[in-house]
Amino acid sequence: MYDKTVRRRRAVLALLVVLSLILLTAYFGEASGGRLHSVQRGFLTVVSPIQDGANKALKPVRDLFGWFGDTLHAKSQNAQLRKQLAALRREVVAEHVDQQSYHQLLTMFHLDNQLSIADYRPVTATVVGKTPNIWYATVTIDKGTSAGVQVNDPVINDEGLVGKVTLAASDGSQVSLITDSSMGVSARIGSSTATGIVQPKVGDPNDLLLQYLPGGTATVKGEYVYTSGTVASPDDSLYPRGIPIGQVTSVDEESAYESVNVHPLANLRNLDVVQVLSAAAGSQPARLSGLVSSFPAGGHPSTETGTAGQLASTGAG
Amino acid sequence: MGGQGVSGGLIARIAGLSLVVVFFQAGVVSEVPVFGVTVDLSPLLVAFVGLLCGSTIGAVSGFAVGLLVDLALVQTLGLTSLVFTLVGYWCGRLRELRDPQAALTPLLVGAGATAAALVVYSLMEFMLGVDAPVSLELLRQIVLGVLVDTIVALPMWVLVRRCLIGGLPEDPRRRRRRAYTTGGLSPLSRT
Repeated sequence: MYDKTVRRRRAVLALLVVLSLILLTAYFGEASGGRLHSVQRGFLTVVSPIQDGANKALKPVRDLFGWFGDTLHAKSQNAQLRKQLAALRREVVAEHVDQQSYHQLLTMFHLDNQLSIADYRPVTATVVGKTPNIWYATVTIDKGTSAGVQVNDPVINDEGLVGKVTLAASDGSQVSLITDSSMGVSARIGSSTATGIVQPKVGDPNDLLLQYLPGGTATVKGEYVYTSGTVASPDDSLYPRGIPIGQVTSVDEESAYESVNVHPLANLRNLDVVQVLSAAAGSQPARLSGLVSSFPAGGHPSTETGTAGQLASTGAG
Repeated sequence: MGGQGVSGGLIARIAGLSLVVVFFQAGVVSEVPVFGVTVDLSPLLVAFVGLLCGSTIGAVSGFAVGLLVDLALVQTLGLTSLVFTLVGYWCGRLRELRDPQAALTPLLVGAGATAAALVVYSLMEFMLGVDAPVSLELLRQIVLGVLVDTIVALPMWVLVRRCLIGGLPEDPRRRRRRAYTTGGLSPLSRT
């Protein structure tokens, strides 16, 4: 009797471990359109409305916990932001003058066809789920293909770039944050025209690294980093130009290419409402995305050849 | 228990509790960082189900909770199932071999289960080729993760125990122990 119980217990354990390994191998080996990925998308479609309802019902609880942390954080930020505000006011005045001249020049030389956020159709979505570990920097939102959201659509919030849509079901989507190990965003630093790739910092998944900047690029601590409006490979998202990504914290000039540490502007730990920049069929962003994805894939230029691998500019429209 | 005498009521209770905990985890708890990390209730749930119900139910519920987590959070399917199956099984074996009754047992089991889950999960991710070195940040995340899970281990234990206790069959060893403590029936007192 005892032997039978022991044998059964071990058999159940062995069966479950083998089943897990089969799932793991099959999932890892198949393409993103495979059967197991479809099951995951189907599950997301089913649970998204439930998650959305639970999220709304439990928002007061979350807000209560968040309030304590936010209050402490806000107090420490207050003085710092006041100083920043004074500096920015002076800058804004100067920027207005420059902007007017810039627009006049663009119109004069017929270069005013660059892609901007206004060319997209923003879909406002609520974050209903988030991965609890450091291996996946992803969130689940309550809008999917039925609201016009598609894979690779850029995602922003009021602070800056958040990430891109990596999986879209009918009533929910998965968004990979800019700190996810699979992400790479073509970017430039404030005043400079040099372009690099923003990727998560290896070993510190909450920070970013702007890599492959040409040596000698003038970089000042505190400068803002923006999307450059170019893509690094055919399967990349076409982020419109000028979306703030982060702020320079330090510079590493040891290698041939310059690396810049960037702290993300968007508070990725407390995402609540985001906007998906979806492109309507036939619109300029949709046309450009189609054009970019039609280029032959040449590996991952974002990690291998840096700026040389950038294929298309949204300004070329 | 070892899988024997498992009632439909107990299975329903475990299934219901798992659904609630996974959705509460994904929708609420993950949004509230504590010391820069988030509390992960799922390894605690699996460990405590194993500790209350034994190795077979612990392993099965670990597999099911892991699958639910991987589906709900769109992670690599099968990875969390594998880790949680082992966690649930070993917590169940701990109960079957030692049946620890100390007040701090849930705390230690919760900390151990979280540490084991995080370390095995990290090792599996490395084996699957995730581009990340063994950094201080990773170690810090694991240590803080274990710490915050230990803090919530006791309330989680109370919740799991309260939800499942009605569905558990009477355990002869526990009945005997209760009788000793209420006096009169211990074999020692009879001699």
